[in-house]
Amino acid sequence: MGAEQAWVLAAIPAGVFLVLALFGRALPRGGDYLGIAAIASSFVLFFVVLADFLDTPGKIGPVVNDIEWSSIGETFTLRMGIFIDPITIVMFGVITTVALMVNIFSLGYMKGEPRYFWFYAVLQLFAASMLLLVMADNLLLLYISWELVGVCSFLLIGFYWEKRSATEAAKKAFVTTRIGDVGLLIGIILLWKEGGTFNIQELIHLAEEGHFSQPYLFTALAFIFLGCMGKSAQVPFHVWLPDAMEGPTPVSALIHAATMVVAGVYLTARLLPMFEVADGMLLVVTIVGLVTALLTGFIALAQTDIKKVLAYSTVGQLGFMFVALGAGEPSVAMFHLMTHAFFKALLFLGAGSVIIGTHHNQEMDRLGGLWKKMPITGTTFLIGSLALAGLPPLAGFWSKDEIFVALEHKWGAWAVILLGISAVTTAFYTTRLFIRTFMGRPADPHVYEHTRETPPVMTGPLVFLAVLAATSGFVVFHNVGKALGFPGGITEFIFLPHHGPHEYELKWGFAAASVAMAVTGIFTAGWMYWGNDLRRSTALANWQPRLYDMLRRKFYFDELYQGMIDRGVLGVSYIVSWFDRYVVNDTGVDGSAQITGFTGGVLKYIQTGRVPNYAMAVAVGVIGLALAGLAVRG
Amino acid sequence: MVPLENYLALSAVMFSLGVYGVLARRNAVLILMSVELMLNAVNLNFVAFAAYLDPGQIVGAIFAVFIITVAAAEVGLALAIVIRLFRNRATANVDEAATMKW
Repeated sequence: MGAEQAWVLAAIPAGVFLVLALFGRALPRGGDYLGIAAIASSFVLFFVVLADFLDTPGKIGPVVNDIEWSSIGETFTLRMGIFIDPITIVMFGVITTVALMVNIFSLGYMKGEPRYFWFYAVLQLFAASMLLLVMADNLLLLYISWELVGVCSFLLIGFYWEKRSATEAAKKAFVTTRIGDVGLLIGIILLWKEGGTFNIQELIHLAEEGHFSQPYLFTALAFIFLGCMGKSAQVPFHVWLPDAMEGPTPVSALIHAATMVVAGVYLTARLLPMFEVADGMLLVVTIVGLVTALLTGFIALAQTDIKKVLAYSTVGQLGFMFVALGAGEPSVAMFHLMTHAFFKALLFLGAGSVIIGTHHNQEMDRLGGLWKKMPITGTTFLIGSLALAGLPPLAGFWSKDEIFVALEHKWGAWAVILLGISAVTTAFYTTRLFIRTFMGRPADPHVYEHTRETPPVMTGPLVFLAVLAATSGFVVFHNVGKALGFPGGITEFIFLPHHGPHEYELKWGFAAASVAMAVTGIFTAGWMYWGNDLRRSTALANWQPRLYDMLRRKFYFDELYQGMIDRGVLGVSYIVSWFDRYVVNDTGVDGSAQITGFTGGVLKYIQTGRVPNYAMAVAVGVIGLALAGLAVRG
Repeated sequence: MVPLENYLALSAVMFSLGVYGVLARRNAVLILMSVELMLNAVNLNFVAFAAYLDPGQIVGAIFAVFIITVAAAEVGLALAIVIRLFRNRATANVDEAATMKW
């Protein structure tokens, strides 16, 4: 099997999804072993594809394999196929690795839950759709899989549908991303209308040749970027992701941290050559990323739910990735995407381990000192936290550092300073999260006493991901990439065609500044929360109660949207419902029925039941027609 | 040879008499007879046109034969209905059979 057959990676989980969805209830253990076997085989086949891809003679180029899907006459032919390039390869690696770890982890986490088989079935559907998304060679196929991952997300957020909050969160996620998806569809149609093709590479080619006019391209890409913002939960669409934490924690790790939410980053990276052609589009991307990173960095400071902190952190880190894309560096964005996927999946699974270990407690106000009780979870969580904070030599440091370098190069110091503030808050809330969960005095002795370390089936994936979170940053180096069989470091693997590959070099000034930011955040948080002592932070909150309230309530985004729905949407709905009730129903539907009834009521008297009357009518009619015919002929 | 117009005139007269009978009579049997008159007027037309316009062929005559056949079947059916009517109402007056209305 070669890279041309990479569609098999998605086909296996898709087949297993069908089996599990139809027969899972009847299978022993809900068929979870089938799900894990499917993901594991995709994981293994990824390496086969990777080896084949790297062995392609000469320069590494994309692998294309497409078929004619349908054609209308001579003018329109729709081709569907797969397109494998370094970006896809990185996504493959991230998806299959994290999905495998999450599937194994779920064996422990979901044990004894209702609808166990359905959980595994949807996980397979998700893996299949996500793999399809990253290898689609045209926007139509991409859009289909884009919606498929969206529906998987919807199903899994609402997995505990007995809980009202879970169904509400699922609905919110679906509707919010839907707003962006409509934009994506409009953008795709706009590009197709002017370019005449859905194929991504052909569209990029057309854009580079100047086939599209500047305002047209900008509009189309802005619509597409709207879809990316919705999927990747960028401000102002970020509100759905924290609520999505209602889903089972492994789902949060897989879908809402490592893979689905980065689909927007992936699509922007994929179309980046077009974004570069459209003047001003990169600035839009940068500003959206910066605003998101800043806002969510501050919101996360005041959250007390472990998963909520991690969710806001995810939104912020996605902002970092968009900033990297805005700087015109897909390699850096993909690099941060990969390291973030590993350490954030680790953190979420760690949070899941805490939830199981403490018998469903995820409020920091009731945790503390768990490290002694859960040594493996605590240690791996620490590694993930430090990677997120950006401390060398862990993975997060290298990718975040690269973002700063790229940003300074493209947009100058102001952007770096803004992003730097976000980096400091990141280090701060991560440290706060770790201290208040794992260190110091237990906030609730009862919870502390009953806490147990989770079984190896859950700690195993934690350890594996911790190793990746610690080491995956090294792929930035030329020699590491070379030793692994790549053409070199990540910047020599992923690059824009006209920029060309370039070797990574460590900029000591940036590295020092980056470490300084991480250390500042860590030490401030350490000083404030050491020993899980809340006196200092409470004093700070009381000193500025309005500011604290603003952070706690997430800059009032939810209240704002609720107000908009109450006034705007409900107001319009009232008018629409009035129109529907009185104009459409009473006048249109009932009215036409009444006209028919009235006419029938009058005309029925013609039907006398007497045959001679009918015969007379026929005779008069025939004679009348004959006379009319004569008159017309003259 | 008798000219074609004579046949057509006779046919028209027969047809008109038939129409008058159908419209004016109230007895179902007489109405049926008037219908037969109309059908035979048509037959006469067919045969006359066949003889004058297309002597080599017999297409018009074949039509006439078909019409006679169908008319026989029609009369058989219609007389059965008239008998049922007479059994139920003790009359063959069509004005009495006027219950199928609004």
